[in-house]
Amino acid sequence: MEENTLSSQPAAPGAIRTEEMLVNMGPQHPSTHGVLRLMLRTDGELVLETIPHIGYLHRCAEKIGENVTPVQFVPICDRLDYLAGMNNDHGYSLAVEKLCGLEVPERGHYIRVIMCELNRIASHLVSFGCYGMDIGAFTPFLYAFREREYILDLFEATCGARLTYNYLTIGGASLDLPEGFVDRLAWFLDYFEPKIDEYNNLLSYNYIFVKRTANVGVISVADAIAYGLTGPCLRGSGVKWDLRRCAPYEIYDRFEFDIPVGMPGGSNGIPPEVVVGDSWSRYYVRMLEMKQSVRILRQCLQQMPAGEFRAKVPRTLKLPAGEVYLEVEGVRGQLGFLVVGENKPIPRRVKIRGPSFCNLSIVPHVCRQVLLADVPAIVGSIDVVMGEVDR
Amino acid sequence: MGSILRKVAFPIFLIGVAAIIVIAWVPALLYGTVDSMRDDLGRFYKWEPRGEHATLTLDNIRQYLEGSIAGQSAPAAHIRFGRSTAAACTYVLWLLQFRITRDVLAVVGVVGFVSLFAMFAIWWERKVAARMQSRLGPMRVGGWHGWAQSLADGIKLLQKEDIFIAGADPVLFRMAAYVAFIPALGLFIALPFSAAWIARDLDVGLIFILAMYGVGVLGVLIAGWASNNKWSMFGAMREACQMISYEIPLGFALLVPIMTVGTLRLTTIGDLQSGGFQTWLAFRNPFLLAAALIFFIAALASCKRAPFDLPEAESELVAGFHTEYSGFRWALFFFAEYAEMFAAGALAAILFFGAWYSPLPAAWGESWRHGPLWQQALHGVVFSGPLWLIGKGIFFVYVQMWLRWTLPRVRLDQVMYACVQVMLPLAMLVLLANTFWEWQVRDRSVLGTVANLVCTAVGAAAVLAIIGVGLYGFINRRRLVGTQVVKHLPGA
Amino acid sequence: MSGEAIAFYMLAVLAAGSALGCVIATNIVRMALCLLGTLGAVALLYFLMAANFLGVIQLIVYAGGTLILIVFGIMVTSRMYGEKLKPRRSEALIGALVVLALFAGLVAILWRGPWVTVVPTEQPNSVAAIGQALLGTYLVPFELASVLLLAVMIGAAYLAQPAARNGRGTEREE
Repeated sequence: MEENTLSSQPAAPGAIRTEEMLVNMGPQHPSTHGVLRLMLRTDGELVLETIPHIGYLHRCAEKIGENVTPVQFVPICDRLDYLAGMNNDHGYSLAVEKLCGLEVPERGHYIRVIMCELNRIASHLVSFGCYGMDIGAFTPFLYAFREREYILDLFEATCGARLTYNYLTIGGASLDLPEGFVDRLAWFLDYFEPKIDEYNNLLSYNYIFVKRTANVGVISVADAIAYGLTGPCLRGSGVKWDLRRCAPYEIYDRFEFDIPVGMPGGSNGIPPEVVVGDSWSRYYVRMLEMKQSVRILRQCLQQMPAGEFRAKVPRTLKLPAGEVYLEVEGVRGQLGFLVVGENKPIPRRVKIRGPSFCNLSIVPHVCRQVLLADVPAIVGSIDVVMGEVDR
Repeated sequence: MGSILRKVAFPIFLIGVAAIIVIAWVPALLYGTVDSMRDDLGRFYKWEPRGEHATLTLDNIRQYLEGSIAGQSAPAAHIRFGRSTAAACTYVLWLLQFRITRDVLAVVGVVGFVSLFAMFAIWWERKVAARMQSRLGPMRVGGWHGWAQSLADGIKLLQKEDIFIAGADPVLFRMAAYVAFIPALGLFIALPFSAAWIARDLDVGLIFILAMYGVGVLGVLIAGWASNNKWSMFGAMREACQMISYEIPLGFALLVPIMTVGTLRLTTIGDLQSGGFQTWLAFRNPFLLAAALIFFIAALASCKRAPFDLPEAESELVAGFHTEYSGFRWALFFFAEYAEMFAAGALAAILFFGAWYSPLPAAWGESWRHGPLWQQALHGVVFSGPLWLIGKGIFFVYVQMWLRWTLPRVRLDQVMYACVQVMLPLAMLVLLANTFWEWQVRDRSVLGTVANLVCTAVGAAAVLAIIGVGLYGFINRRRLVGTQVVKHLPGA
Repeated sequence: MSGEAIAFYMLAVLAAGSALGCVIATNIVRMALCLLGTLGAVALLYFLMAANFLGVIQLIVYAGGTLILIVFGIMVTSRMYGEKLKPRRSEALIGALVVLALFAGLVAILWRGPWVTVVPTEQPNSVAAIGQALLGTYLVPFELASVLLLAVMIGAAYLAQPAARNGRGTEREE
C-alpha cells in the first residue's frame, strides 16, 4: 500500500495541521468489487477526490472478436459480465442474428428470456450479498449464495456450466431444456419469492443499514443522464427507463411486469431517510427487480411452447457487409454490441458497450466530500463488474 | 492410526473438561480444609482467632490429620485421608495456608481460564456464525464438530514466523501486544466467579474493572503507532476514541446498580441477588433494566465489537490497528478481546442478572451446602456456583456474537453521535430517575413491588422466548430451510 | 524483610526507573509508555497502602484518561515517525542544576519531617467516607474543580471548531 503525504497548505501558527493523504483502495479487495483500484485523496476522514484506475482485467475481448467466428465468440461474451453470462450471450447473439437476418423459433425466444431473467436474479443476489458484506452484515451474503446455488443448479442441469455458459448462442439456445426443468423452475420460484421479503426485512429495512446508505451518494437525474448511467443506477434516480419496456427486444412486449424506480422515503414502506437517487434506492431497485423477474419467469413458464429451440444456422455463417448496433437491458444497464461484418465468417469489428464502464464514470463525481466509510457504500450500490469495465 | 485417534479424541476432550472442573474445584475444597484446620487448632492452642500470625507447622498438620491432638473430636471433616497419603497431603496443606500460594494459584487459574475461554470462544464464534449463515463451521479437527480447531490454530500461530516491520519501533511494537493483553487479564483479578472464587475481593472491585478497560485502550493506540503505518495509526486513533467515549455511558449505567446496592464490592452485589429470579437487580425497577441495556450496548462498543467494529473492519480499505501483527502477537490481541467480552458478559451477569445464583432462591438449598461432597456439587449445579456465572457469561458472549453476525456496521460518526447525543443523555436520565426512585419509592411500598413484578415478568418472558425459539428451531431443524443441509430440489 | 517492604522497593524502583526512562527517552511515544509505567507503579503503591479507591482512580483518570489524551495529542500533531527529541547541551545543564536543587530540598524534607508511621489497614466503607468528605467537608473545592473542568471542556470544544466558524486560522478551500 503506497502512501504519500501531501500538504496543500502551510499550517497557520497554532492550528492543528491535518495532512491530506492518498489512500489506495487497491486492486485487491476483501469484498468483491473485482480488480478496481480507487485512489482516494482524503483529509482525515473526509474524502476529497476519488480517482478510479481500471484496466486490471483487460483481456482484449474486442480484439478477439476480430479473429473468431460469432459462434466461437459467444464464450468470450460470457466472461464480460461474468455474473450474468446469459445476458451477454443473448445480446451478442441478437446483434449477429439481426445482421444476418436469422429468425429464432418461438421456443428459443422463451428459453432465452427464462435464462436471462434467471441470471438477472442470480446476479442481483450476488450484488445484494456483497453489498451487505460491504456494509458489515456478513450473513445475507451466505443466504444470497444459498439461493443462487439453486439457480446455478438449474443452469448446470441445462448446459453443464455454472458461471460461463456458452448456451444462448447464434440462432437460439444450443441445447434444449432438460427434462424436469420446468418443474424445478416452478418449485424454485415458489420457494424464492417469499425469500425476497425475508431479505428485505433482514437487510433493507434494517435501521443501521438505512443509516449507512440512505442519503449517501445521491445522483440527480441530470447527472445520471449526463454521465450515461443505465440500469438500476439510472432507475434508482427516478428515471423510468428500461429497454425491455421502452424499446422492447426479443419477446419482452408479451410480458407484464413493472419497472421499479427509486421513490422518496416515507411512503410505500420506504424508510423516511431515503432520498431518490441515493445508494439505498439503487440497492432497493435491484431487490424489486428480482420480484419482477420472478413475475416474468412465471409468465414464461405458462406461455412457453414446445418445438425447435434453435434456428438452422449454416456451418460457416457468413456475416454480410454492414453493421448492427444493438442494446439489451443487461443486468447492470444497457449492454450494447456493435458487429461490423464484411461478407466473411469473421466480423471486422466487435465493440462492446459495457454498462459498468459508464456507471463507473460517476464515481469521481459522487464520491466527493463524503466520509471514508461511505465509499464502499457508494461503489457497492453502483454494482460494477470489472469484466464489463475492462473487457 | 488416524481413525483410532479420531474416535478417541472426543472422549479425551470430554474427560479433559471434567478434569478441569475437578481440578478447579479441589483447591476451593482444600482452602476450606486449611481454614477449618486453623480454626480448630486455634481453638485448641488458644491462638488469636483468625490471626494472620498463626502459621501452621508441618507437625501441627500431621497431628491434626491423624487426629492425635488431645481434645480433637474427629479428623478433617471434608476429606478423609489414608495414612499413606497423609504425608503428601501434609505438605500440600502446609503450602496452601500461605497467602502467596493462594495468589499464585489464583493467577494460574486466571491465566488458564482466559486462555481456555479464548480458545473456546473462537471455536464457538465460528460455529455460531456458521449456523446463522446456514452452514456448519469447523467440523473436522478433533472429530466431534471440530472442537480442536482453536487448538490447532493456536499451534499454527505459535510456529509462525515472527514478522517484524522494518522501521517500526522494536520496543513499542512488542510492548503494545502486552499492554493490550495484561489489563484484560487484570480484569479477572477482581471478577468473582462465586462468593469464594475470587482472586482479590477488592472493596472497589467494580471500578477496578472499569480501570482495566480504560488502560486496555493504550494497547490499541501504541499498536497502531508502532506499526509504522499512517493508516494503522489513524485506525487505532479512531478505535481508541470510540472505546473511551463509550466508557462514559458505561460508567453512568454502572452507577445505577451501585446506587441501589450501596457498595462497589462485587461479591456483596452478587450475594444480594440470592433470593431468586425476582431479586435479580435488573428486575427490581424499570430503570435498572434500562441501565442493564445501556451497559450492555456501551460494553459492546468498548470491546470494539460489532456493530461498532468499523475501525477494525475498515481493514477492508485501511489498516486496522493490528494489521501488521502476525503469529502469536496477533493472537494476544484476540485473546484480550475475548477476555474483555467475557468480562463484560460476566459483569452484566453479576451486576444485573443474578451473578452466580440460579433463578431458584438459594435459601431452598441451604442444607446442601454443608452436606457431603456430592450434595455440595449438586448445590453448585442447581442453586449457586461458578458454573452459573460462567454459563451466564457465555450466554452474554453468545448475544454479542449473535449481534455481530446479524447487524451491519455503524459508521464512525454515527457511533459517536449515538454515544454523545443518545446514550449519554439516556444514561443520565436513567440515573436521575433511579435516584428519585430510591429516594421516594422504597422496596416495600406497593409501587415498588408492582414494578418489581412487572419487570420480573418481562424478564421471564424474554428468557422463555429465547428458550422457546431455540427449542422450536432445534426440534424442526430438519424441516427448516437452511438450518442444515437439506435434500436438494425435487428430482435431484 | 516483610513482603510489604519487598513490594514497596520493587514498585519504587519501577516508578523511579520509568520516570527516568520517560525523561531520558528520545522517542516521544516511548516517553508515553514510560509514563504508563510510572503511573501504574504509583497506582500499585496506592494499592499497597490499602488505599484501593485512590489506586483505582489513579488508573482510571491518569493511566486511562490523561495518558491517552497525551498519546492522542502526540499522534495527531507529530510530524515524523521516529523523530528524536534531544535536548541541547545548555538545556540539559540548566535542567540538571534545577533537578539537583529540587532533589536536595526533597531529601532535606524527608530527613527531617515528623513522619507518623501507621500500619495501613483497610477501612470499612472507605469509598463512602471519601464520598461523604467530598460532598461535605470539601464541597467547595470539589465544585470549583468541576467548574474548572467545565471551562476546560468548553474551551477545547471551541478551539476544535472548524477554522471558518471561529474566524481564526487558515481558510480551507472546499
